[in-house]
Amino acid sequence: MKSFAYLLKFSYRNLFRVPKRTLIMILSLSFGCGFIIWDLNFANSGSKEIMKDFLTQYAGVYHVTHPDYYDAKNKKQFNSYKTMTDEDLERKDLIPKSTRRAVAPVFISGEKKTLGVLMTGLEVEKERKLSTLYKAIRAGKFLEPEGQREIILGKKFAQRIEANVGDEVAVVGQAMDGSVANDLYRVVGLLDFGGGDLEESLAFTQLHSAQEFLSLPPERFHQRVSFDVESDDLPKLKSLGVTRWFDLIPEIGFSVQFIDNITWFACIIIVMVVSLGLSNTLMITFFEREQEFNSLNIIGAQTKWITISLMIEVFIMGTVAIGLGVLMGYLAVKYFYYHPINIELFTGGKPIIMGGMTIVPLVKIYALPQYFWQVPLMIYFFLSLTMIYPLIRVIRRSKNAI
Amino acid sequence: MQFELSRVEKIYISSEENKVFGAKDVSLNIHEGDFLALVGPSGSGKTTILNLIAGLILPSSGSLKHGGKDITSMTLEERTKHRLDYMGFVFQDYQLLPILTAWENIEFPLQLKGFSKNEIKERVNWALAQVGLEKMGHRFPKQLSGGQQQRVSIARAIAGRPQLILADEPTANLDSKTAQEIIELFLKLNKEFKLTFIFSTHDQRLIDQVRTVLYVKDGQISESRNHHV
Repeated sequence: MKSFAYLLKFSYRNLFRVPKRTLIMILSLSFGCGFIIWDLNFANSGSKEIMKDFLTQYAGVYHVTHPDYYDAKNKKQFNSYKTMTDEDLERKDLIPKSTRRAVAPVFISGEKKTLGVLMTGLEVEKERKLSTLYKAIRAGKFLEPEGQREIILGKKFAQRIEANVGDEVAVVGQAMDGSVANDLYRVVGLLDFGGGDLEESLAFTQLHSAQEFLSLPPERFHQRVSFDVESDDLPKLKSLGVTRWFDLIPEIGFSVQFIDNITWFACIIIVMVVSLGLSNTLMITFFEREQEFNSLNIIGAQTKWITISLMIEVFIMGTVAIGLGVLMGYLAVKYFYYHPINIELFTGGKPIIMGGMTIVPLVKIYALPQYFWQVPLMIYFFLSLTMIYPLIRVIRRSKNAI
Repeated sequence: MQFELSRVEKIYISSEENKVFGAKDVSLNIHEGDFLALVGPSGSGKTTILNLIAGLILPSSGSLKHGGKDITSMTLEERTKHRLDYMGFVFQDYQLLPILTAWENIEFPLQLKGFSKNEIKERVNWALAQVGLEKMGHRFPKQLSGGQQQRVSIARAIAGRPQLILADEPTANLDSKTAQEIIELFLKLNKEFKLTFIFSTHDQRLIDQVRTVLYVKDGQISESRNHHV
């Protein structure tokens, strides 16, 4: 223990041999560490913020449905007409911040054209509180809670069937009893998600209007959609199906995962580049001291002792740099929590459209604890690799005599 | 204590046909209190003989013993430990660690030996007193003159009370006045504490003051001369 304490002291003192060089090595490592921590937090927070914004626009975090609603064998087949009631829920409080929806694939006829679309019946008041769908209204207004047979159309869809706010459109579909359902609806508003495909495939009406259209009793509906974006937990329900957004729109989920993975990959490349530079500097540092290692060996220091002292020296430097880097990363993350970044900076001012919806580009960076230990571990790992070749050179140095 | 070299040869082979003798048929007994110098031109083999005695290189043939123990059969680690336990070294260019103070430089081999804190303190202060640098212990090597650095190097060599001190050209980098002071210091340590010194040197002043001069030529001890100092 005493000899280890001396080794520590000896290694620590060696850091002051060429103070400027040590300082540069510490700063490059700590900047690298701090930047990576910030970058990973930024990427993750960015993904989360964007997803939060995207999910609250319309999709929701998860859907509770009849277990056969999203058929496992055919997830794309949206309406298999399996409905549910709130009686089917074991406990309603298991699904916080949720709203009911009824959906029906229908044909809508305008002045000149008839096209297919997915019509969704909404609980208007709840929807206004939980989702931001109403913010996408560009012409007319959002649905009235007590209104009858009002409909909102996507802007592009309305253009294609040549319908406008105030017009009546004919809606034809299949009711739950198998009969033909048809009715006239008045267009009260047009939706604009920023130019995405959703404007061509969605239409919205009141839940009670949809239920009436589908010949559904008032207690029956298709989906209970949760907007609890702060929680990653899904309710465990025995008799109902719970489907995460990731499974409903996997292409977006994989894109987000890809961004996270590519950020990690980029960070590893940064650490590797810094490590190569560091390895070179260590080589120079050790090479300059070769004669000294020889003298130490002559006066009785084992090569093992010299090697361990060098390893400790590098680890002390690494620990100081990582400590500083973690602090820098934390402060940067905190700063950008209070001063969110406009990610349009990275898109040249162009709006970000995801899943057919325009995303609000302000990203608050949250400090995610796992990055504050994962990144230091990664740096320690690369630091260990960095030392291997210089240490081999020390162990196998040519001269070992007076 | 006796270091014994018997018919030692060191051959450096650069190719099958080209063999160079670093040491040839060297036989030498070193006793406690000896004060001897290996003298010869550059490349004559003085330093090779010092390296062989220290166990830093192994002979190609012949035996090398210390107190009956065969140094050639020791592993590299054992030979390093052997040097730490029984030898002290003084270098031409001092070889002090620039990051340690004079006191800490002397402390270094004692720490390696595992001495207690008190014993280290006592030995370092004793060694500093012997070389006349009691008040300079806190200084770093760059804050000391060449002569003072060599004194620290000597203090580091003697602090562990070794059985043998090997000094390679210890006065070569010093001015004549300082060199004379260092030689007197060696003499004092030899007389007072019966410390054994082997020098490799060109310095006539040192050659004049040692008790035994061994002339080395082409790796061989060609002549031995005793002085009465």
